[in-house]
Amino acid sequence: MELPQKYSEQELVWLLKQRNEQAYSYLYDHYSGALFSIILSIVKEEELATDVLQEVFIKIWRQISLYDTTKGRLYTWMLNVARNTSIDAIRSKGVKNSRQNQELTENVYEQAGSAEMKTDAIGLRKLVHTLKDEWKILIELSYFEGYTQDEMAKMLNIPLGTVKTRLRSGLAALSKIIKP
Amino acid sequence: MNTQEYIESGIIETYVLGMTDAIESAELEQYCREYPDIKLAVTAFEATLEQHALLNPINPPSTIKVQLFESLKDEFVHPVFMSAPTKQSAKVFDIKPFLKYIAAASIILLVISGAMNLYLYTKLSNSSAQYQAILVEKTSLQANNQLIQAKALDLFNSMQMMTDPNMLKVSMPGMPGKEKNYATIFWDTKSKDVYILPNKLPQPTLGKQYQLWAMVDGKAVDAGMIGDCAGLCKMKNIPSATMFAVTLEKKGGSSIPTITEMYLAGKVS
Repeated sequence: MELPQKYSEQELVWLLKQRNEQAYSYLYDHYSGALFSIILSIVKEEELATDVLQEVFIKIWRQISLYDTTKGRLYTWMLNVARNTSIDAIRSKGVKNSRQNQELTENVYEQAGSAEMKTDAIGLRKLVHTLKDEWKILIELSYFEGYTQDEMAKMLNIPLGTVKTRLRSGLAALSKIIKP
Repeated sequence: MNTQEYIESGIIETYVLGMTDAIESAELEQYCREYPDIKLAVTAFEATLEQHALLNPINPPSTIKVQLFESLKDEFVHPVFMSAPTKQSAKVFDIKPFLKYIAAASIILLVISGAMNLYLYTKLSNSSAQYQAILVEKTSLQANNQLIQAKALDLFNSMQMMTDPNMLKVSMPGMPGKEKNYATIFWDTKSKDVYILPNKLPQPTLGKQYQLWAMVDGKAVDAGMIGDCAGLCKMKNIPSATMFAVTLEKKGGSSIPTITEMYLAGKVS
């Protein structure tokens, strides 16, 4: 007998924790497009993005026992796994590149964000680019490039409190855009 | 606290997207427990984010899934292996007497040591026996646990089947004199497979077994024996029938139903 093709979130998590292959296959079919979109928007290169996607799904599979249902939805957890893995990937790639280009750049911070923004963004990142500049730069640097609020305050030479307020306002505005 | 102001500040979005620091996260999780409004706002943003992502996917190349499943294929099955207890080997020391009186002392120490060994060996044997008993208990608990998991999966599957829109449900109330008994037929109108849920049937007497019959063109056709099953029992495949009935027959079943021993019957609506 076939297992059902659609699961409730509780069933899905329960079956994944039982190491059920069909549930995992469903998870992949249902969420790979959403996660690939966020990975691709961060790492930008398709080849690297497919590597990251595989790594992300392997992490989800092996670390599902760490997912705590009381802390939030399964997608939120997977999204954070995808974002962190993507940022690690561009960081380790960036380390290689910056070693090669060390003499060319005086200020690494200045380069981050501003240069990247000219390229065509996709997915959520594209929506971020419709926001006003003071919000856009902070969301770019923090969400898509992984800088902490402290680091951004130093980079942009603005007080930490201002960074926090602006980042939150920007994300609140973003939330209104994606609300159906 | 003004929860509305807090919710609208954007802190919830910052948290869900993973950009709050440890202190901010801890504070927000605390507020979630104290203020249902805040918890609700977190859940709502999570749902919005997920919905937006699911509606705007970028599908990865189809080869990725194949590669992924290939690299994980050994992890889908996970039999439970018991590791054999490792034996500890006792260390042996050579005692080489180099002076006569030290040799004498050594012999005395050796005797004491021998006695100690005997005493410790007895203790070790006891512990080892206890350890073995615990191992056995652990194995039986594990087996029990797997049994329960299998049963839970059976029940889950049964529940999925019962709620399938293709399932035709036929109630079989008890015959006159047996009104307290009943069972339910689930008939898959696509595959024509028949399942029975023996809601309430008395334990058959020794050497007897319940048999399901399907009435096809006025004739009773054997639809299978009701065995010992959790949840739904799968019966034979019956392409068409106007009625189902259950009789008590000798173990293994009969070729024609014993009408006097008919317990349940129900028409297909």
